[in-house]
Amino acid sequence: MLNTGFQSEQNIEVHKFYTGSVVLVGFFALILQAFLHKYGGVADLVDLPLLVVIYFSVSRRNPVTGLLFGAAVGIFQDGLSHDNPIGLYGIANTLVGYFASTVGARLDTEHPVARFVLTFLFFHFHQVIIAFIERALLNEPTPFFGLRLLVDSLVTAAVGVVLFALLDKLRRSN
Amino acid sequence: MLLASVVAAQVLLLAYQVKRDHDVRLIRYWSAEASMPAARSGSWFFSHLGGLWTGYVDLHNARKENADLRAQVGQLELRNSQLATQAAEAQHLQILLNFHNAHPEAQMLAAQVIGASADTASETIYINRGEDDKVKRNMGVITPDGVVGKIVEVLPNTAEVMLMTDKDMGVGAMFSDSRTHGVVKGTGDPVPMMDYIVNDEKIQPGETIITSGEDRIFPKGLLVGAVGTAKEGNPFQKIQVQPAARLDRLEDVIVLVTQQELAPGKQGDGFRVSPAPPPPTPAPAATDAANSGSTPAANSSNAKPATQGAPVK
Repeated sequence: MLNTGFQSEQNIEVHKFYTGSVVLVGFFALILQAFLHKYGGVADLVDLPLLVVIYFSVSRRNPVTGLLFGAAVGIFQDGLSHDNPIGLYGIANTLVGYFASTVGARLDTEHPVARFVLTFLFFHFHQVIIAFIERALLNEPTPFFGLRLLVDSLVTAAVGVVLFALLDKLRRSN
Repeated sequence: MLLASVVAAQVLLLAYQVKRDHDVRLIRYWSAEASMPAARSGSWFFSHLGGLWTGYVDLHNARKENADLRAQVGQLELRNSQLATQAAEAQHLQILLNFHNAHPEAQMLAAQVIGASADTASETIYINRGEDDKVKRNMGVITPDGVVGKIVEVLPNTAEVMLMTDKDMGVGAMFSDSRTHGVVKGTGDPVPMMDYIVNDEKIQPGETIITSGEDRIFPKGLLVGAVGTAKEGNPFQKIQVQPAARLDRLEDVIVLVTQQELAPGKQGDGFRVSPAPPPPTPAPAATDAANSGSTPAANSSNAKPATQGAPVK
Protein backbone atom coordinates (compact mmCIF):
# COMPACT_ATOMS: atom_id res chain seq x y z
CA MET A 1 0.00 0.00 0.00
CA LEU A 2 2.78 2.32 0.85
CA ASN A 3 5.87 2.72 -1.22
CA THR A 4 8.39 2.10 1.48
CA GLY A 5 11.27 2.42 -0.92
CA PHE A 6 10.57 6.08 -1.59
CA GLN A 7 13.43 8.48 -0.81
CA SER A 8 13.11 12.20 -0.46
CA GLU A 9 15.45 14.56 -2.24
CA GLN A 10 15.39 17.05 0.60
CA ASN A 11 18.36 17.72 2.79
CA ILE A 12 16.77 16.24 5.85
CA GLU A 13 17.28 12.55 5.92
CA VAL A 14 14.39 10.41 4.76
CA HIS A 15 14.30 7.06 6.47
CA LYS A 16 13.40 3.88 4.71
CA PHE A 17 11.98 0.82 6.39
CA TYR A 18 11.97 -2.81 5.60
CA THR A 19 9.30 -3.80 3.19
CA GLY A 20 6.05 -4.51 4.92
CA SER A 21 7.30 -3.35 8.25
CA VAL A 22 5.20 -0.18 8.15
CA VAL A 23 2.05 -2.13 7.40
CA LEU A 24 2.78 -4.75 9.98
CA VAL A 25 3.59 -2.21 12.65
CA GLY A 26 0.44 -0.30 11.90
CA PHE A 27 -1.62 -3.44 11.96
CA PHE A 28 0.01 -4.63 15.14
CA ALA A 29 -0.58 -1.27 16.81
CA LEU A 30 -4.24 -1.45 15.96
CA ILE A 31 -4.60 -4.98 17.30
CA LEU A 32 -2.70 -4.18 20.42
CA GLN A 33 -4.72 -1.05 21.02
CA ALA A 34 -7.93 -3.04 20.68
CA PHE A 35 -6.59 -5.76 22.88
CA LEU A 36 -5.38 -3.42 25.59
CA HIS A 37 -8.58 -1.45 25.45
CA LYS A 38 -10.39 -4.47 26.90
CA TYR A 39 -8.47 -4.08 30.09
CA GLY A 40 -8.85 -0.39 30.46
CA GLY A 41 -6.80 1.39 33.11
CA VAL A 42 -3.40 2.54 32.01
CA ALA A 43 -3.86 1.05 28.55
CA ASP A 44 -6.49 3.66 27.82
CA LEU A 45 -4.00 6.41 28.38
CA VAL A 46 -1.99 5.49 25.31
CA ASP A 47 -3.05 5.82 21.69
CA LEU A 48 -0.74 3.42 19.90
CA PRO A 49 -2.10 3.92 16.35
CA LEU A 50 -1.59 7.65 16.75
CA LEU A 51 1.97 7.10 17.83
CA VAL A 52 2.62 4.85 14.84
CA VAL A 53 1.14 7.40 12.46
CA ILE A 54 3.20 10.19 13.96
CA TYR A 55 6.37 8.16 13.84
CA PHE A 56 6.14 6.92 10.28
CA SER A 57 4.87 10.24 8.95
CA VAL A 58 7.68 12.15 10.56
CA SER A 59 10.19 9.59 9.45
CA ARG A 60 8.95 9.36 5.89
CA ARG A 61 8.56 13.14 5.60
CA ASN A 62 6.20 12.75 2.68
CA PRO A 63 2.79 14.39 3.15
CA VAL A 64 1.06 12.11 0.66
CA THR A 65 2.38 9.02 2.27
CA GLY A 66 1.67 10.44 5.66
CA LEU A 67 -1.94 11.32 5.02
CA LEU A 68 -2.67 8.02 3.29
CA PHE A 69 -1.05 6.05 6.06
CA GLY A 70 -2.90 8.08 8.65
CA ALA A 71 -6.14 7.57 6.80
CA ALA A 72 -5.64 3.84 6.59
CA VAL A 73 -4.74 3.47 10.23
CA GLY A 74 -7.54 5.75 11.35
CA ILE A 75 -10.18 3.95 9.35
CA PHE A 76 -9.02 0.61 10.68
CA GLN A 77 -9.05 2.02 14.17
CA ASP A 78 -12.62 3.17 13.65
CA GLY A 79 -13.49 -0.22 12.27
CA LEU A 80 -12.13 -1.95 15.32
CA SER A 81 -13.94 0.31 17.72
CA HIS A 82 -17.53 -0.41 18.53
CA ASP A 83 -18.89 3.06 19.01
CA ASN A 84 -16.96 5.20 16.56
CA PRO A 85 -18.38 5.79 13.10
CA ILE A 86 -15.97 5.00 10.31
CA GLY A 87 -14.04 8.16 9.56
CA LEU A 88 -13.82 9.74 12.97
CA TYR A 89 -10.28 8.63 13.70
CA GLY A 90 -9.66 8.36 9.99
CA ILE A 91 -9.99 12.09 9.49
CA ALA A 92 -7.99 12.87 12.60
CA ASN A 93 -5.16 10.53 11.72
CA THR A 94 -5.17 11.70 8.12
CA LEU A 95 -4.58 15.25 9.24
CA VAL A 96 -2.03 14.15 11.82
CA GLY A 97 -0.18 12.12 9.19
CA TYR A 98 -0.18 14.99 6.78
CA PHE A 99 1.02 17.62 9.20
CA ALA A 100 3.47 15.29 10.88
CA SER A 101 5.05 14.63 7.48
CA THR A 102 5.16 18.33 6.82
CA VAL A 103 6.74 19.05 10.18
CA GLY A 104 9.15 16.14 9.79
CA ALA A 105 10.29 17.55 6.48
CA ARG A 106 11.30 20.79 8.14
CA LEU A 107 12.49 19.85 11.61
CA ASP A 108 14.83 17.33 13.06
CA THR A 109 12.66 14.96 15.00
CA GLU A 110 15.31 12.46 16.04
CA HIS A 111 15.94 13.88 19.45
CA PRO A 112 13.89 12.33 22.29
CA VAL A 113 12.80 15.72 23.61
CA ALA A 114 11.72 16.84 20.18
CA ARG A 115 9.79 13.60 19.79
CA PHE A 116 8.17 14.06 23.19
CA VAL A 117 7.09 17.58 22.39
CA LEU A 118 6.00 16.63 18.89
CA THR A 119 3.96 13.72 20.17
CA PHE A 120 2.46 15.83 22.92
CA LEU A 121 1.41 18.50 20.47
CA PHE A 122 0.06 16.09 17.87
CA PHE A 123 -1.86 14.28 20.56
CA HIS A 124 -3.75 17.45 21.37
CA PHE A 125 -4.10 18.33 17.71
CA HIS A 126 -5.57 14.90 17.21
CA GLN A 127 -7.87 15.42 20.16
CA VAL A 128 -9.02 18.82 18.91
CA ILE A 129 -9.95 17.28 15.58
CA ILE A 130 -11.78 14.43 17.30
CA ALA A 131 -13.65 16.85 19.54
CA PHE A 132 -14.50 19.09 16.64
CA ILE A 133 -15.86 16.24 14.57
CA GLU A 134 -17.85 14.85 17.44
CA ARG A 135 -19.30 18.22 18.24
CA ALA A 136 -20.02 19.14 14.66
CA LEU A 137 -21.11 15.86 13.20
CA LEU A 138 -22.10 13.64 16.06
CA ASN A 139 -23.59 16.34 18.21
CA GLU A 140 -21.65 15.11 21.25
CA PRO A 141 -20.11 17.60 23.71
CA THR A 142 -16.61 16.21 23.64
CA PRO A 143 -14.13 18.48 25.47
CA PHE A 144 -11.24 19.97 23.54
CA PHE A 145 -9.02 19.91 26.55
CA GLY A 146 -9.01 18.62 30.10
CA LEU A 147 -6.91 17.20 32.88
CA ARG A 148 -7.47 13.68 31.73
CA LEU A 149 -6.41 14.64 28.23
CA LEU A 150 -3.33 16.32 29.64
CA VAL A 151 -2.37 13.17 31.48
CA ASP A 152 -3.09 11.10 28.42
CA SER A 153 -0.98 13.34 26.27
CA LEU A 154 1.91 13.20 28.68
CA VAL A 155 1.72 9.43 29.00
CA THR A 156 1.35 8.99 25.26
CA ALA A 157 4.27 11.33 24.61
CA ALA A 158 6.40 9.41 27.08
CA VAL A 159 5.42 6.07 25.60
CA GLY A 160 6.03 7.57 22.20
CA VAL A 161 9.64 8.40 23.03
CA VAL A 162 10.24 4.77 23.96
CA LEU A 163 8.22 3.38 21.07
CA PHE A 164 9.91 5.58 18.52
CA ALA A 165 13.27 4.34 19.72
CA LEU A 166 12.12 0.80 19.20
CA LEU A 167 10.73 1.57 15.79
CA ASP A 168 14.02 3.10 14.80
CA LYS A 169 15.30 -0.48 14.73
CA LEU A 170 13.11 -1.11 11.69
CA ARG A 171 14.91 1.46 9.60
CA ARG A 172 17.05 0.30 6.82
CA SER A 173 20.47 1.72 6.88
CA ASN A 174 21.58 3.74 3.86
CA MET B 1 -5.77 18.44 -2.90
CA LEU B 2 -5.30 14.87 -1.97
CA LEU B 3 -5.62 15.73 1.68
CA ALA B 4 -8.86 17.52 1.04
CA SER B 5 -10.17 14.63 -1.00
CA VAL B 6 -9.28 12.05 1.61
CA VAL B 7 -10.75 14.12 4.40
CA ALA B 8 -13.87 14.89 2.41
CA ALA B 9 -14.34 11.24 1.56
CA GLN B 10 -14.12 10.32 5.20
CA VAL B 11 -16.47 13.11 6.19
CA LEU B 12 -18.98 11.74 3.73
CA LEU B 13 -18.35 8.29 5.10
CA LEU B 14 -18.99 9.61 8.57
CA ALA B 15 -22.09 11.38 7.45
CA TYR B 16 -23.39 8.21 5.90
CA GLN B 17 -23.11 6.40 9.20
CA VAL B 18 -24.09 9.02 11.67
CA LYS B 19 -27.77 9.36 12.43
CA ARG B 20 -29.27 12.50 13.80
CA ASP B 21 -32.67 13.04 15.33
CA HIS B 22 -35.53 10.93 14.06
CA ASP B 23 -33.02 8.27 12.94
CA VAL B 24 -32.07 10.22 9.84
CA ARG B 25 -28.61 9.67 8.46
CA LEU B 26 -26.44 12.74 8.55
CA ILE B 27 -25.60 12.49 4.88
CA ARG B 28 -29.32 12.47 4.09
CA TYR B 29 -29.76 15.43 6.41
CA TRP B 30 -26.94 17.26 4.69
CA SER B 31 -28.23 16.35 1.28
CA ALA B 32 -31.62 17.64 2.23
CA GLU B 33 -30.20 20.78 3.76
CA ALA B 34 -28.00 21.36 0.74
CA SER B 35 -30.74 20.76 -1.75
CA MET B 36 -33.60 22.39 0.11
CA PRO B 37 -32.57 26.01 -0.52
CA ALA B 38 -32.30 25.31 -4.22
CA ALA B 39 -35.51 23.33 -4.12
CA ARG B 40 -37.22 26.07 -2.15
CA SER B 41 -35.93 28.68 -4.53
CA GLY B 42 -37.06 26.66 -7.51
CA SER B 43 -40.38 25.97 -5.90
CA TRP B 44 -40.76 29.63 -4.99
CA PHE B 45 -39.78 30.71 -8.49
CA PHE B 46 -42.04 28.27 -10.27
CA SER B 47 -44.92 28.82 -7.89
CA HIS B 48 -44.67 32.57 -8.36
CA LEU B 49 -44.16 32.15 -12.09
CA GLY B 50 -47.15 29.83 -12.11
CA GLY B 51 -49.01 32.27 -9.91
CA LEU B 52 -48.23 35.08 -12.30
CA TRP B 53 -49.38 33.03 -15.23
CA THR B 54 -52.46 31.83 -13.37
CA GLY B 55 -53.12 35.39 -12.27
CA TYR B 56 -52.79 36.60 -15.82
CA VAL B 57 -55.12 33.90 -17.10
CA ASP B 58 -57.54 34.51 -14.25
CA LEU B 59 -57.39 38.23 -14.86
CA HIS B 60 -58.01 37.72 -18.53
CA ASN B 61 -60.91 35.42 -17.77
CA ALA B 62 -62.14 37.77 -15.08
CA ARG B 63 -62.21 40.65 -17.52
CA LYS B 64 -64.19 38.64 -20.03
CA GLU B 65 -66.42 37.33 -17.29
CA ASN B 66 -66.83 40.83 -15.94
CA ALA B 67 -67.84 42.11 -19.34
CA ASP B 68 -70.28 39.24 -19.75
CA LEU B 69 -71.68 39.82 -16.29
CA ARG B 70 -72.04 43.53 -16.94
CA ALA B 71 -73.93 42.80 -20.12
CA GLN B 72 -76.02 40.28 -18.25
CA VAL B 73 -76.67 42.78 -15.48
CA GLY B 74 -77.72 45.33 -18.05
CA GLN B 75 -80.11 42.88 -19.63
CA LEU B 76 -81.44 41.86 -16.25
CA GLU B 77 -81.90 45.46 -15.20
CA LEU B 78 -83.77 46.15 -18.41
CA ARG B 79 -85.81 43.02 -17.91
CA ASN B 80 -86.39 43.96 -14.30
CA SER B 81 -87.54 47.39 -15.34
CA GLN B 82 -89.88 45.87 -17.87
CA LEU B 83 -91.23 43.45 -15.30
CA ALA B 84 -91.64 46.22 -12.76
CA THR B 85 -93.52 48.27 -15.32
CA GLN B 86 -95.65 45.30 -16.21
CA ALA B 87 -96.23 44.55 -12.55
CA ALA B 88 -97.28 48.12 -11.87
CA GLU B 89 -99.53 48.05 -14.92
CA ALA B 90 -100.97 44.72 -13.88
CA GLN B 91 -101.55 46.05 -10.40
CA HIS B 92 -103.25 49.09 -11.79
CA LEU B 93 -105.37 46.97 -14.09
CA GLN B 94 -106.17 44.70 -11.19
CA ILE B 95 -107.45 47.71 -9.29
CA LEU B 96 -109.59 48.68 -12.26
CA LEU B 97 -110.87 45.13 -12.56
CA ASN B 98 -111.64 44.98 -8.89
CA PHE B 99 -113.40 48.30 -9.21
CA HIS B 100 -115.49 47.05 -12.09
CA ASN B 101 -116.26 43.76 -10.37
CA ALA B 102 -117.30 45.68 -7.29
CA HIS B 103 -119.74 47.76 -9.32
CA PRO B 104 -121.44 45.49 -11.80
CA GLU B 105 -124.46 47.80 -11.79
CA ALA B 106 -122.56 50.52 -13.63
CA GLN B 107 -121.61 50.25 -17.28
CA MET B 108 -118.02 51.35 -17.59
CA LEU B 109 -115.18 51.20 -20.01
CA ALA B 110 -111.52 50.92 -19.21
CA ALA B 111 -109.24 53.18 -21.16
CA GLN B 112 -105.60 54.08 -21.32
CA VAL B 113 -104.26 57.60 -21.34
CA ILE B 114 -102.36 58.01 -24.58
CA GLY B 115 -101.54 61.68 -24.50
CA ALA B 116 -102.10 65.12 -23.15
CA SER B 117 -102.95 68.48 -24.59
CA ALA B 118 -100.14 70.46 -26.05
CA ASP B 119 -101.77 73.61 -24.72
CA THR B 120 -100.33 74.30 -21.31
CA ALA B 121 -103.37 76.34 -20.39
CA SER B 122 -105.63 73.42 -21.18
CA GLU B 123 -105.91 70.60 -18.67
CA THR B 124 -106.93 67.80 -21.01
CA ILE B 125 -105.78 64.30 -21.82
CA TYR B 126 -106.48 61.82 -24.57
CA ILE B 127 -107.63 58.24 -24.08
CA ASN B 128 -107.61 55.30 -26.43
CA ARG B 129 -111.38 54.94 -26.54
CA GLY B 130 -113.61 56.77 -28.97
CA GLU B 131 -116.77 56.71 -30.95
CA ASP B 132 -116.19 53.10 -32.00
CA ASP B 133 -116.37 52.18 -28.33
CA LYS B 134 -119.63 54.08 -27.92
CA VAL B 135 -117.90 56.83 -26.02
CA LYS B 136 -119.87 60.07 -26.12
CA ARG B 137 -119.38 63.64 -24.99
CA ASN B 138 -120.02 64.50 -21.34
CA MET B 139 -119.37 61.00 -20.12
CA GLY B 140 -117.60 60.97 -16.78
CA VAL B 141 -114.05 59.74 -16.44
CA ILE B 142 -112.83 58.44 -13.12
CA THR B 143 -110.19 56.26 -11.54
CA PRO B 144 -110.64 54.03 -8.54
CA ASP B 145 -109.25 56.94 -6.54
CA GLY B 146 -111.80 59.48 -7.64
CA VAL B 147 -113.11 61.87 -10.28
CA VAL B 148 -110.83 62.71 -13.21
CA GLY B 149 -112.89 64.73 -15.65
CA LYS B 150 -115.32 64.40 -18.53
CA ILE B 151 -115.27 63.59 -22.22
CA VAL B 152 -115.28 66.79 -24.25
CA GLU B 153 -114.34 65.57 -27.71
CA VAL B 154 -114.87 62.19 -29.33
CA LEU B 155 -113.02 60.86 -32.32
CA PRO B 156 -113.40 57.42 -33.84
CA ASN B 157 -110.67 55.82 -31.74
CA THR B 158 -109.75 58.46 -29.22
CA ALA B 159 -111.45 60.90 -26.96
CA GLU B 160 -110.37 64.07 -25.24
CA VAL B 161 -110.93 64.29 -21.52
CA MET B 162 -111.13 67.62 -19.71
CA LEU B 163 -109.65 67.25 -16.27
CA MET B 164 -111.40 68.64 -13.24
CA THR B 165 -108.55 71.11 -12.86
CA ASP B 166 -109.30 72.75 -16.21
CA LYS B 167 -110.64 76.29 -15.80
CA ASP B 168 -113.68 75.39 -17.88
CA MET B 169 -114.53 72.33 -15.85
CA GLY B 170 -117.08 72.10 -13.07
CA VAL B 171 -118.23 69.14 -11.02
CA GLY B 172 -121.38 69.07 -8.94
CA ALA B 173 -120.16 68.24 -5.47
CA MET B 174 -121.09 68.26 -1.84
CA PHE B 175 -119.48 67.71 1.53
CA SER B 176 -119.89 64.14 2.66
CA ASP B 177 -120.62 65.13 6.27
CA SER B 178 -122.71 68.27 6.02
CA ARG B 179 -124.23 67.35 2.64
CA THR B 180 -123.81 71.01 1.65
CA HIS B 181 -123.83 71.30 -2.12
CA GLY B 182 -121.51 73.32 -4.27
CA VAL B 183 -119.46 73.15 -7.45
CA VAL B 184 -115.82 72.17 -7.78
CA LYS B 185 -114.35 74.42 -10.44
CA GLY B 186 -111.08 74.09 -12.18
CA THR B 187 -108.68 76.99 -12.04
CA GLY B 188 -106.07 75.93 -14.50
CA ASP B 189 -103.84 75.08 -11.54
CA PRO B 190 -103.42 71.67 -9.93
CA VAL B 191 -105.72 72.82 -7.13
CA PRO B 192 -109.38 73.37 -8.06
CA MET B 193 -111.76 75.44 -5.92
CA MET B 194 -115.13 74.61 -4.45
CA ASP B 195 -117.56 77.43 -4.99
CA TYR B 196 -120.98 78.47 -3.81
CA ILE B 197 -120.36 77.65 -0.16
CA VAL B 198 -121.58 80.47 2.04
CA ASN B 199 -119.36 81.94 4.69
CA ASP B 200 -121.56 80.71 7.49
CA GLU B 201 -120.82 77.12 6.61
CA LYS B 202 -118.23 75.59 8.91
CA ILE B 203 -115.70 73.89 6.70
CA GLN B 204 -112.83 71.91 8.18
CA PRO B 205 -109.65 71.13 6.25
CA GLY B 206 -109.57 67.52 5.21
CA GLU B 207 -113.30 67.27 4.92
CA THR B 208 -114.32 64.87 2.17
CA ILE B 209 -115.98 66.13 -0.98
CA ILE B 210 -118.07 63.81 -3.13
CA THR B 211 -120.09 64.20 -6.29
CA SER B 212 -123.65 65.33 -5.88
CA GLY B 213 -124.98 64.01 -9.19
CA GLU B 214 -126.46 67.35 -10.08
CA ASP B 215 -124.24 67.86 -13.09
CA ARG B 216 -125.72 64.76 -14.77
CA ILE B 217 -122.24 63.64 -15.64
CA PHE B 218 -121.02 61.91 -12.53
CA PRO B 219 -123.21 59.71 -10.45
CA LYS B 220 -123.76 60.71 -6.88
CA GLY B 221 -121.25 59.66 -4.24
CA LEU B 222 -117.98 59.56 -6.19
CA LEU B 223 -115.00 60.86 -4.32
CA VAL B 224 -113.83 64.21 -5.64
CA GLY B 225 -111.24 65.13 -3.11
CA ALA B 226 -110.73 66.76 0.23
CA VAL B 227 -110.73 70.30 1.54
CA GLY B 228 -107.28 71.82 1.54
CA THR B 229 -107.80 75.29 2.89
CA ALA B 230 -111.00 77.25 3.47
CA LYS B 231 -111.15 81.04 3.75
CA GLU B 232 -113.97 83.52 3.93
CA GLY B 233 -114.66 85.27 0.67
CA ASN B 234 -117.15 87.51 -1.02
CA PRO B 235 -119.77 86.33 -1.44
CA PHE B 236 -118.65 82.67 -0.96
CA GLN B 237 -115.85 80.95 0.80
CA LYS B 238 -112.64 80.24 -1.06
CA ILE B 239 -112.11 76.53 -0.60
CA GLN B 240 -109.16 74.79 -2.16
CA VAL B 241 -109.72 71.15 -3.05
CA GLN B 242 -107.08 68.43 -3.14
CA PRO B 243 -108.23 66.08 -5.92
CA ALA B 244 -108.51 62.46 -4.84
CA ALA B 245 -107.34 61.15 -8.19
CA ARG B 246 -103.72 61.68 -9.01
CA LEU B 247 -104.26 63.75 -12.09
CA ASP B 248 -100.60 64.17 -12.80
CA ARG B 249 -100.00 60.43 -13.01
CA LEU B 250 -102.91 59.12 -14.93
CA GLU B 251 -102.35 55.93 -16.88
CA ASP B 252 -105.57 53.96 -16.86
CA VAL B 253 -108.97 55.48 -16.37
CA ILE B 254 -112.57 54.40 -16.41
CA VAL B 255 -115.18 55.93 -18.64
CA LEU B 256 -118.63 55.89 -17.08
CA VAL B 257 -120.93 54.97 -19.94
CA THR B 258 -124.04 55.60 -17.86
CA GLN B 259 -124.75 57.79 -14.92
CA GLN B 260 -125.68 54.78 -12.84
CA GLU B 261 -124.87 55.50 -9.23
CA LEU B 262 -122.14 53.30 -7.87
CA ALA B 263 -122.45 51.20 -4.78
CA PRO B 264 -119.84 52.18 -2.24
CA GLY B 265 -117.20 50.19 -0.46
CA LYS B 266 -117.42 46.61 -1.72
CA GLN B 267 -114.72 44.14 -0.96
CA GLY B 268 -111.73 44.35 -3.20
CA ASP B 269 -112.62 47.85 -4.22
CA GLY B 270 -109.88 50.34 -4.50
CA PHE B 271 -112.47 53.03 -4.97
CA ARG B 272 -113.03 55.17 -1.95
CA VAL B 273 -116.47 56.64 -1.73
CA SER B 274 -118.17 58.41 1.01
CA PRO B 275 -120.51 56.48 3.18
CA ALA B 276 -123.77 56.09 1.43
CA PRO B 277 -126.78 57.77 2.94
CA PRO B 278 -128.83 55.55 5.18
CA PRO B 279 -131.11 53.31 3.16
CA PRO B 280 -134.78 54.10 3.16
CA THR B 281 -137.06 51.93 5.19
CA PRO B 282 -138.93 50.25 2.34
CA ALA B 283 -137.83 46.88 1.05
CA PRO B 284 -134.82 46.84 -1.24
CA ALA B 285 -136.80 45.88 -4.29
CA ALA B 286 -139.27 48.68 -3.73
CA THR B 287 -136.50 51.12 -3.09
CA ASP B 288 -134.72 50.08 -6.22
CA ALA B 289 -137.80 50.59 -8.26
CA ALA B 290 -138.72 53.87 -6.68
CA ASN B 291 -135.33 55.48 -6.51
CA SER B 292 -133.45 54.41 -9.56
CA GLY B 293 -130.12 56.23 -9.71
CA SER B 294 -129.77 56.50 -5.96
CA THR B 295 -129.74 52.88 -4.95
CA PRO B 296 -127.97 52.21 -1.66
CA ALA B 297 -125.04 49.92 -1.71
CA ALA B 298 -126.74 47.18 0.23
CA ASN B 299 -129.42 46.88 -2.41
CA SER B 300 -127.41 47.32 -5.55
CA SER B 301 -125.93 43.88 -5.41
CA ASN B 302 -129.37 42.35 -5.56
CA ALA B 303 -130.55 44.49 -8.44
CA LYS B 304 -130.00 43.38 -11.95
CA PRO B 305 -126.93 45.29 -12.98
CA ALA B 306 -127.32 47.61 -15.91
CA THR B 307 -123.76 46.92 -16.93
CA GLN B 308 -124.09 43.18 -17.10
CA GLY B 309 -121.93 41.99 -19.92
CA ALA B 310 -120.30 45.38 -20.33
CA PRO B 311 -116.72 45.03 -21.44
CA VAL B 312 -113.78 46.22 -19.49
CA LYS B 313 -111.37 46.43 -22.30
